[in-house]
Amino acid sequence: MKIKQFFLSILFTLVTMSSISLATEETKVHHETQQEQNSQKEPYKSKTLSQLASSFWETTGINAILDTHDGEMTSDPAGEAKEHVMGAFESSLGRIIMIGIVFLLFYLAIAKGFEPLLLLPIAFGGLLANIPLAHMAGPEGMLGVIYNMGIANEFFPLLIFMGVGAMTDFGPLLANPKTALLGGAAQFGIFGSLVGAVALGFDLQDASAISIIGGADGPTSIFIANRLAPDMLGAIAVAAYSYMALVPVIQPPIMRALTTKEERQIKMGVQRKVHRLEKLFFPIVVLMLSILILPESTPLIGAFSFGNFAKESGVIDRLSDTMQNSLINIVTIFLGLGVGSKLAADKFLVLESLGIMIIGLIAFGAGTAAGVLMAKIMNKFSKEPINPLIGAAGVSAVPMAARVVSKVGAEERPGNVLLMHAMGPNVAGVIGSAVAAGVLLSIFK
Amino acid sequence: MTEVNYIVEALKFMVLGMGVVFLFLIVLVQLIKLQASLIQKYFPEKTPITPTMPKIGDDIEEEQRRVAAIIAAISEYSKNK
Repeated sequence: MKIKQFFLSILFTLVTMSSISLATEETKVHHETQQEQNSQKEPYKSKTLSQLASSFWETTGINAILDTHDGEMTSDPAGEAKEHVMGAFESSLGRIIMIGIVFLLFYLAIAKGFEPLLLLPIAFGGLLANIPLAHMAGPEGMLGVIYNMGIANEFFPLLIFMGVGAMTDFGPLLANPKTALLGGAAQFGIFGSLVGAVALGFDLQDASAISIIGGADGPTSIFIANRLAPDMLGAIAVAAYSYMALVPVIQPPIMRALTTKEERQIKMGVQRKVHRLEKLFFPIVVLMLSILILPESTPLIGAFSFGNFAKESGVIDRLSDTMQNSLINIVTIFLGLGVGSKLAADKFLVLESLGIMIIGLIAFGAGTAAGVLMAKIMNKFSKEPINPLIGAAGVSAVPMAARVVSKVGAEERPGNVLLMHAMGPNVAGVIGSAVAAGVLLSIFK
Repeated sequence: MTEVNYIVEALKFMVLGMGVVFLFLIVLVQLIKLQASLIQKYFPEKTPITPTMPKIGDDIEEEQRRVAAIIAAISEYSKNK
C-alpha cells in the first residue's frame, strides 16, 4: 500500500515537474531558434526550374504520404517535447486509415444523425489533424491553439457544464425525486469497468480516467482525463463522445434484453406540478451538498449549478440565454475541433486506444444495464409503477438517453410517453457522474 | 506486503465510489422531499378556484340572456316572413 502511494506520488510530481520545466525550456529553445533564423538569413540563390519543381514536390502531401522516411515530425499541442519523428506507418497508412475513420464519422453524423453537433466538429478536427506537413495540431497550429486554450486547462468542459445547467429543467426530477437513484445506479458503469480496466493491465490512475467514459458524460471525461491521465485524453474524449453519439445504437438492445415486454409497456402516472421555488432552490441545494460531501466535484457541479440558477432565477434571461445558446455553441465548436486534433494517426492508432474503446463500450453497457436493473427493483417495491426502461436514462448523456428511452417505450406501446419520466434519472445521472468523478479525484489526491 | 493486488484495489474504489454516489443522491432525494413539503406549507400555490366561481355564474346568466335574445330574434324573423 505505502509503496504504491509513494510511487504514485513520485510519478505525479515527476509528471508535473517535467511538464513545467519542459514548458519553460521549450519557450527558451523556441526563442533561440528564432534569433538564429533572424541572424543567419541566407541570401537568395538562383534555382533552376527543375530544382524549384523538385523542392515543390518535397512539400506536397503526396510526397509526404509516399515517402515514409522524410523525417516528418508529429505535432502535439504541448510542443516539441512531446513530438517525435513519424514512423513509417504513422506517416502513410495510418493517416489514410484515420481519414477513412473520419469519413465514417461524417457518415454517422450526417446520414444517421448521431449527435452531429459533436461528431461533425470532432471528425473534421481529426481530418485537419491528419494533414501532412501543416502541423495544425502543433502549438502554433489552429487545433493546437484551441487545445491549449481550453482543453489542456479544463476550461471548455466547465463552460459546457454551465450551458448544460442552463438548459436543464429539473422539474421531472423534483416531481419524482426517487428516480434520482437510477442516475446513481448507472454509475456502476464507471466503477465496474474500472475493475475491468485494471484487469486488462492499465494502472489504477489510467483505469479510473478510462472508466469515467461509463458516465457517458463528455465534459466530465475530459475533466478527469486531464487530471489523471493527460496522455490518454484524446482517445478517452473521442471514445466518450462517440459512445454518446451511439446511444441510440448501444442502449436499446441492452434495454430489451433485460426487460420483459410487459415491463416495457408499463404506463407511468402524470407528474405533479413543481413549484417555481423548488426549481430555484435546487441548484443551491445540490451545490451545498457537494460542498459538504465532495468539494473535489465542485468545479463541475459549481458550473452546472450556476447555469441552472441563472435559468431558474428568471431575472437574467439574457445571460442564461447566452449560456444555453451562443456560448455553448462556440465552446462546442472549439471542443470538437480540439478533441478531434487527437485523432491524428500517431496518437490514436496505438494499442491503448483500442483498449480504451473496448473498456469504454463495456462501461457504457454496464451503466445502462445497472440503471435498468435498478429500475426493475424499484418497480417491484414502489407503489406507483416505474417503467424499467427509464433506468437506461441514468447514464448522463442528456437528453439523448432520455429520448432513446422514450422512443423504445413508444415502440412497445404507442402513445406511452416516457420522455419526462426519463429526464429525471437523466439529469440525476449528470450529478451522479460528477460525484463519481469527484470520488476518483479524491482517491488520487 | 509489497505486491498490491490492483483488482482488489479497484473493487475497493467501486465500493467507495458507488457508496458515495448513492449517499449523495439519497441525501439529495430527502432534501428535495423536505424542500417540497416546506415550500408547499409556507408558499402554497395560489389556487385559482375563487375567481372562477362567480365567473361560471356570470356565464349562466349570460347564456340565458343570449338564448332569450336568439329566441326573440327568431320569432321576430318568422313573424316578418
